[in-house]
Order: sequence, then structure tokens, then C-alpha cells
Amino acid sequence: MSSKHSLVLTEAPWLRVVLITLTLTFVALFLLLPLAAVITEALRNGVEAYWEAIVEPDALAAIRLTLTAAAIAVPLNLVFGVCAAWAIAKHDFRGKNLLVTLIDLPFAVSPVISGLIYVLMFGMQGWLGPWLAEHDIKIVFAVPGIVLATIFVTFPFVARELIPVMQEQGTEEEEAALTLGANGWQTFWRVTLPNIKWGLLYGVILCNARAMGEFGAVSVVSGHIRGQTNTLPLHVEILYNEYNFVAAFATASLLALLALVTLAVKSFVEWRAAQQAAAARNAEPPASVGSLA
Amino acid sequence: MSIEIRNVNKYFGTYHALRDVNLEFASGELTALLGPSGCGKTSLLRIIAGLEQPDSGQVLLHGEDSTDRHVRERRVGFVFQHYALFRHMTVAENVAFGLTVKPRSQRPSKQAIRKKVMELLDLVQLGFVADRYPNQLSGGQRQRIALARALAVEPKVLLLDEPFGALDASVRKELRRWLRRLHDEIHVTSVFVTHDQEEAMEVADRVVVMNKGVVEQVGTPDEIYDNPATPFVSRFLGSVNLFHGRIHNGWAHIGDLRQEAPAHANGSSGPAVAFLRPHEIDLSDQPEGSIGAATITSIRIVGPLLRLELEREGGEGLVEVELPRERYDARTLPIGRKVYIRPRQMRVFVEKNAS
Repeated sequence: MSSKHSLVLTEAPWLRVVLITLTLTFVALFLLLPLAAVITEALRNGVEAYWEAIVEPDALAAIRLTLTAAAIAVPLNLVFGVCAAWAIAKHDFRGKNLLVTLIDLPFAVSPVISGLIYVLMFGMQGWLGPWLAEHDIKIVFAVPGIVLATIFVTFPFVARELIPVMQEQGTEEEEAALTLGANGWQTFWRVTLPNIKWGLLYGVILCNARAMGEFGAVSVVSGHIRGQTNTLPLHVEILYNEYNFVAAFATASLLALLALVTLAVKSFVEWRAAQQAAAARNAEPPASVGSLA
Repeated sequence: MSIEIRNVNKYFGTYHALRDVNLEFASGELTALLGPSGCGKTSLLRIIAGLEQPDSGQVLLHGEDSTDRHVRERRVGFVFQHYALFRHMTVAENVAFGLTVKPRSQRPSKQAIRKKVMELLDLVQLGFVADRYPNQLSGGQRQRIALARALAVEPKVLLLDEPFGALDASVRKELRRWLRRLHDEIHVTSVFVTHDQEEAMEVADRVVVMNKGVVEQVGTPDEIYDNPATPFVSRFLGSVNLFHGRIHNGWAHIGDLRQEAPAHANGSSGPAVAFLRPHEIDLSDQPEGSIGAATITSIRIVGPLLRLELEREGGEGLVEVELPRERYDARTLPIGRKVYIRPRQMRVFVEKNAS
């Protein structure tokens, strides 16, 4: 059933043209134009200036910190997300709805508040602050705080992506594996994981994009110490506030590039998943069961 | 005894799903758990498999208390209503699964597994689909693959949960005959759950009829059909006509009929109900030995049968009757004619449990 030139399409041609033009204009104005501006501004003083802004030590430190935070936050949330989705989708227990609501909490609260939570807990005036200071452990205004804030903010992505997938698949395949003698690990690795791999990958991509791009929460706990507690988005802000536009936009273009890569990978994953689903649908079952006799 | 169920109770919240169930399944037998949906038959099957835990009672497999054994140690083959094939594995990988998850010391070699898989696929007559994926198969084929997969681990008992429930009628009929033949070939103790009395009667050696978490009757298909133990079994195994009456001093009074009821001889008296299947009724011109008079309201010819509907005199309801065509002539039974209902066989139950 191809929708190409479908007769069911009843909208008048002029309406179609108007709708498409409106959408494209909107996309151009609000998405493409800013992106183009970022790149133009970044290259205003030539490729050399651009390159210098990126390989400057503070910028490199920011890149390193961003990658570190993502490298810790994403795997942790991957493991947590799978556990939570598994628990929620495949088991019934008291307080399940509460858990689902709690997982959504980081989506619901402003990132700035997420950051403040950590300042309140670990800051000098916070609950654990004095004890931490006594033992010379720095969390707020240091790398651990940034990692914690990143984990908090990116917490729901994987779980949210997996819960509907796992709920839809039910528990029968797992039960079948158990009756066939598989233990819990074998069931997970050989039955559950292959069934959720596309959803999982999708969740990880979104989680990673958010982990690298997070500004609000990280800004609160960072303390903006150049070369030490600045992530890429924070670095952009500092440069911009110093009227160092070329460097600011050069760094920003890295984040834009990350966004484009994320989109490309995401599209690829969606395409692959759709392709597999289509293959499954198109694979016609043999017409007869006449071979039964 | 292959499987023994002792005093098993199961609750879902406050719902009492299984009430003091006691059952025995003999080795090599094919038994049907038959009942309407919600009667607890699937819960019982899952408890035998270890996929569900009873709240009290015991499950013995081959004489050994297995109540606290994990599913994977019970060595049961389980076939699910919706097949539950591993969708990302080929048919051969599905069937091999039970062998490849064994601990390395017990695992057969790759060649041995491959050989076993092909043997099983030949057994279910599907050798040619080995490299396909489950979604490339028809429902009937999937269910046979699920069966082959369950048999791969050489289970001591085979449990099937509504194995034909998701298939359309013609495939279902074919597949159940095939299951019967397969069972005669491999003789593994098997229990299957169904809500279809025809299926149970046709396939099983023994039938367990369940209702509301209670076992109503256990017996061979003909025992159950010919001598239903309770009003529920009577009704569940096909259409029946109900006649209300009384029991008094060991005699049943149903309509104009007075018949000895030895089962109720010990003084119990009160309202009673008699069950008569449509084919257990003769029609007569004479009132002797009849329950009462009725008027023919419709008559249809269905293959070898005449199917009649009668309206009882005194507004006591409709009666369905099936008569063999070689003994009755449709022309002598016009609509509107008055006839007498004469039971050939009748089961009388005291009214209080005639639910």
C-alpha cells in the first residue's frame, strides 16, 4: 500500500503547497539559519583562528571534561535504565507507579534545580558539606559534581525508551527460555537483550546527546573554573561573555557537529529498526499448511 | 504417577483461583485440562511447570517433591498459546536453544546439536524451514516449532497451554489430530489446557473438567460425556435440556414422569433438575413414559440429523431434540404437531448444586 499519489489524499494542491512552504520556511528560519550563523561566525577570521580556538588548552580541557562526564554518565544510565525497565515491564510490585513517576522526575524539574539539589547536599552550607570538607573530598565545584549532575539529568532517557518496548514484548519469551533450562543471565543476554537492542541504542544516543549538551544543571555545580570544571557548553558561555565571538562560535560548532552526528546515527538506527520490522512483515508465511499430513 | 498435585491452593489477590486441587497424571498419558476461561486451568499448568508458585500444597514430578524447584530444574517442556518463539533466532537456533544453554560439561557438541535439531524438525515435519525466522512461518508451523523446541531438552513432562487457541478452525483440527499421532509416537506424559470440549474429547486419553478453581470430574472422554458427575459438566460438554422437578424418597418426579433415583435414595428430598442431551430424547404419540407434551415449533435437517425445537405445554420453555433421519421422517413431524417427550437416558441432580 504505497501512499504515493494515493487517491485518499483529499487536500487541495494549493493547501499542500502552503503547508509545505510554511514548514520549510519555519525550519529554515529557526533551525538552519542559526546553524549557518554558528558556522559563519566561527570561520569569520579564517580556518586558522577557528583551529586555534579549538586546540587552545582550556578548550581541550573542556572537551576532555565533557567526554569524561558522558563516558561515566551514559554507561551508568544504560545499566540503570535496563534494570529499571526490566523491573517495571516484567514484574509487578508495590510502588511500581511511584518508581515510574520518579524516573520522570529529571524531565519534570528545571535543570537548574537539579544542579541546586547537589549544591544543597554537598556544598559547604549543605547537609554533607562540612563532613566532606573534613575529609577533603570535593564534589561541588569539581568534576564529581558535574558527573553527578549529568547523571541526574540524563537519568530517564534509556529507561523511558525501553519500558514501552519491553512491556509490548511481554514475558513469554523469557519464560520459554527458563523452561528450556536457561539461567537468568543466559535469558537476559540471549533473549531479552537482542529483542530490545534498537530501543536501547536509541535511548543511549539520546542520553549521550543530552549528557554532552547539558548546560543548566552543570552550570550550577561547576563553579566555572577554566581548564578544570568547564564543560563545552559552559566554555562557550564564558567565551561569549568575554566577547570572544570567534572562539565561542568555534566551540559551539563542535556541539552543533555533535548534534548532527547524533541525528545521523539516530536516523540510521531508526532506519535499520524499521527495515527489520518491514522485513518481518513482508516475509509472507508460506500460503498453506498443507505439508501437515 | 508422573505428576501429582496435592492440596494445591492459589490466590491472586483475594481471588481464590485454585481450591484444594488434588490430581494425578499417569505416565505416558495425554490429559486435557478442560474448563471455561478463568476456571484456573492455566494457573494449574503454570504451577506444574514452576512458572507460578502455589500458595499451599505440593507438586510432585515422578514421585519427587518439586514444589520448591526452579522452573529450569524441573525438566518440563512448555508450549505457549502464542508460541513464544525467540523472534531474532532462526528456527534451528530456536530448537537448539535448550541444548546450547546447558553447562559446558553437559552440552552436546555442535554436530550433535545440529543432528538433534534436524531430527526434531523432521519429527514435526518442518525440516525445510530450519533457516527461516519465526515471523516467516504460519501459525500452525510456529506452534509445531515451539513443540520441537520444547522436546529438544527431552522433558519428563510436556505441558501445553491452549496450544491451538491462536489458530484458525481448520488448522486447529488438523493440528490436534497431528498432536494425537505425535503423542502416540513419543509417549511423553503430556497435559494440555483447553476450553474447547471437542478438542479435549478428540485428543485426550483423560479429561479433567475444572470450574471456578475446583476439579469437577476426571475421566476418559466417554465416561465424562456419558456420566457427567455434576450439572456443570453436563452443561459444559455440549447443549443440554433442563427439566425441573422434585426428588422424594428415592424417586425423581420430572414433569409427568416418575423414575427411580437410587443415587438419592437416602431420604433427601427437594427440588431437582434433570439434564437431557438433544439426542437422548425420543418423540412419541403416547403419553406413557414421557415427561410431558410439547408442540413442534421448528424443524431443520442437518446432515444425518433432524434438529427440532419444541415448546413445552404450560409454558415451561423450549426443548432441543436431535433425531436420526433413518428412524424419523420429517414429513410426519410437521410444525404445530403435539408430541410427547420420552427420555432414553436422564441424569437427575438435586437442585441446590444445579448451578
